[in-house]
Amino acid sequence: MNDDKNLKARSTLSRRAFLQFASAGAGLTLLAACAAPGGQPASGGSESGAATTDTVSLSFWTPGGSQVYCQGFGTIAANYKELNPNITIEEAQCGTGEQNFNEVLLARVAAGNPPDATIIWTSPAAFGARNALVELDELMAGSQYSQKDAWPEGVLASCIFNGKTYGLPVAAGTYAMFYNEELFEAKGISSKREDFPKTWDELRALSKEFTVWNGDTLESVGFIPWDEDQYTLPIWSALNGTQLYDAETQKYLLDDAGNLEMMEYALAWLDEEYQGDITKVNTAGNWSAGTDGEGRPPAFQEGRMAMMTGGFWLCGDMYAVEPTFERWNVAPFPVGPNGSETVSGYWPNWLVVPKGSSNPEEAFKYLDYMSAEGIKVWFANVPDLPTNKNVSTDLFPTLMAEKRGEEVAREVTDFFRGQLDIATPMWNSPVQDFANDQIGRILEQIYTKTAAPAAALAEAQQACQAELDSLLQQNA
Amino acid sequence: MAAIVSRPSRISPLRRRRALAGYLFVLPWIISLLVFTAYPVLASFYFSLTDYTVIEAPRWVGLENYRSLSSTDPSFWISVYNSAYYALIAVPVGLIVSLGLALLLNMQAKGIGLYRTLFYLPALAPPVAGTIIFIIMFNSQGGLVNQVLELVGLSGVGWFTDPKWAKLGLIILSLWGVGVGTLVFLAGLKEIPQSLLEAAGIDGANTWQRFRHITLPLLTPVTLFNLVMGVIGSFQVFTSAFVIGGTTGRPLESTLMYMVLIYRHAFRYFKMGYASALAVLLFLAILIVTVTIFRTARLWVFQEDEEQAA
Repeated sequence: MNDDKNLKARSTLSRRAFLQFASAGAGLTLLAACAAPGGQPASGGSESGAATTDTVSLSFWTPGGSQVYCQGFGTIAANYKELNPNITIEEAQCGTGEQNFNEVLLARVAAGNPPDATIIWTSPAAFGARNALVELDELMAGSQYSQKDAWPEGVLASCIFNGKTYGLPVAAGTYAMFYNEELFEAKGISSKREDFPKTWDELRALSKEFTVWNGDTLESVGFIPWDEDQYTLPIWSALNGTQLYDAETQKYLLDDAGNLEMMEYALAWLDEEYQGDITKVNTAGNWSAGTDGEGRPPAFQEGRMAMMTGGFWLCGDMYAVEPTFERWNVAPFPVGPNGSETVSGYWPNWLVVPKGSSNPEEAFKYLDYMSAEGIKVWFANVPDLPTNKNVSTDLFPTLMAEKRGEEVAREVTDFFRGQLDIATPMWNSPVQDFANDQIGRILEQIYTKTAAPAAALAEAQQACQAELDSLLQQNA
Repeated sequence: MAAIVSRPSRISPLRRRRALAGYLFVLPWIISLLVFTAYPVLASFYFSLTDYTVIEAPRWVGLENYRSLSSTDPSFWISVYNSAYYALIAVPVGLIVSLGLALLLNMQAKGIGLYRTLFYLPALAPPVAGTIIFIIMFNSQGGLVNQVLELVGLSGVGWFTDPKWAKLGLIILSLWGVGVGTLVFLAGLKEIPQSLLEAAGIDGANTWQRFRHITLPLLTPVTLFNLVMGVIGSFQVFTSAFVIGGTTGRPLESTLMYMVLIYRHAFRYFKMGYASALAVLLFLAILIVTVTIFRTARLWVFQEDEEQAA
């Protein structure tokens, strides 16, 4: 009888035992959930079986963008599959929700399960220096469209660190001077591009013609020097014959004499034309290219600003707020006192293959295709200027063509394409984000006169060089 | 006289089984605590002594991260100053406002339940949405606040564009979430025996005297709780500062809070080791302040047991 009872006790599951097992199971499940998805190794992983099978599936990410921008990658993927039936590009992951894109990407690289290919909006030099990207030099050499000479030198520079190439600068909005032709003509000033100021002194003299104060209130401006913007400062520095960063020697040159002169020139201009008070200037209007954080429309489109710096994208974005005038034009940047020739700059989109991509060769082929063919679909949706020299030059922004006519749209696009060839190297520092923050910080200090240019530049120089040296030491 | 020998306590098999079952029940939570809380906390102490970019294994650098905090990072002391300034003003102001609101909401007025709900609602709103609403209200060009100031003859200010005003703007914004503290104070007010207040009234105490000598002392345990939570929260202010000033703390780094600096180094510059060193320092600072508050609490927090013993 007792034996029967014991047997029964052993062979049936009591409620307590069940709960104990369930608790243990839950704990184990939790632990299992912590493991890397797919049980992939925590590093490497490029030797996956995908390369050896007939059909390949590739994942592709982009840091974000508008709906039409993201949907365009679906079309590009479908077109690619028609040419390569054995390759399937998964639906593009557009952004990483509320989480920071770089954070997620790096975490996935560290965990060994990154996307096979992705667009990044942070310099490939910065990611490459941290060993997060696949070196592309060999793949580029054997590619259909992406050999090194297929890219403008100054633009490709943003992808290079220590002589190795980590990305393809697939599209870059080049910068130029935008001006309101109608305001020029109203003052009897020639609005022809060839008559636009060629030097900073000429630009400063012209700017005065348009700047109007009503007591302490600024009603309209000609041009605000250097836009108080860290992203375009490398262009103004190069226009004055120097650089902010020299990738060859891996040295920052922020406190170089030419850069000090550039900032002192801006302050003198501010004193002469803008009552020496940037706060008054900023309070008086929104001098940027788009609606600002306070909901103010851009002054250029309002006809209160005669000249401004802008990128190629502005040819379309100009009409996000309907301008009060019809005719505007673009011109090359004027040259500084120490400069010898005009230059331009750019804001790029980069294509990269993260370390740990399951099939880097096939992923690169897709990026190679996107650089020369897919970019046409991309451009039709969002007119980011293609940089690859194999891309047809027959592209122009349709919105601008609607507003200004096809001829003007083509001519202006050609102008911006020409700006690619004179682009100064920028975005090429492995500590680019750090440097941008430091430069933005000192620009604020200098313009608000809370720090003297020499002291501010010296402080930023020390911080940027220390940051760079620390990174280079790790790479040594 | 026979000595009394205490028998060594033995846990019966039944109690042991029950204890085991209990441990198994809490096991998932304990694992989660160890893996997702304790491990990251301990790991950050280790990472603070390394150079770590997430991609590659951490490289031991000893105290280098701590040394470079004050020597090569020009934003470190600025963020320390901003956070301390914010905490020193936002916490007392938050306590006073939430106590004032709690006193109002403790009154027996018509529709008081609705008011209580309304004052708590902002605490439920997403912080980013709340911040954006404040940016619109405090817009220097035609924002509601500046319009009101102009109506009473004062000139508007650049709340989030002028470095002189930006921190004050953030402090005012912090009052948006005052509903949580108000609710805690309200609960404390409900615990105060009416008999004490009535007795004081009979003895001739006026409203202020009853508040000063009965309500306030009896609320000190609740005040201690709100103070500690407020200090911890104010040192960790992030969302509002990040939405308004970005990673650079515009204008002129006046909104660069310590947590934003940690975020910037970790997720913008990929310097997890350095960011961990910053986080460890923040942890120690909060620990010291919290311990100090608890130590001084003996001097000003009403202890019912001590009163009874006396």
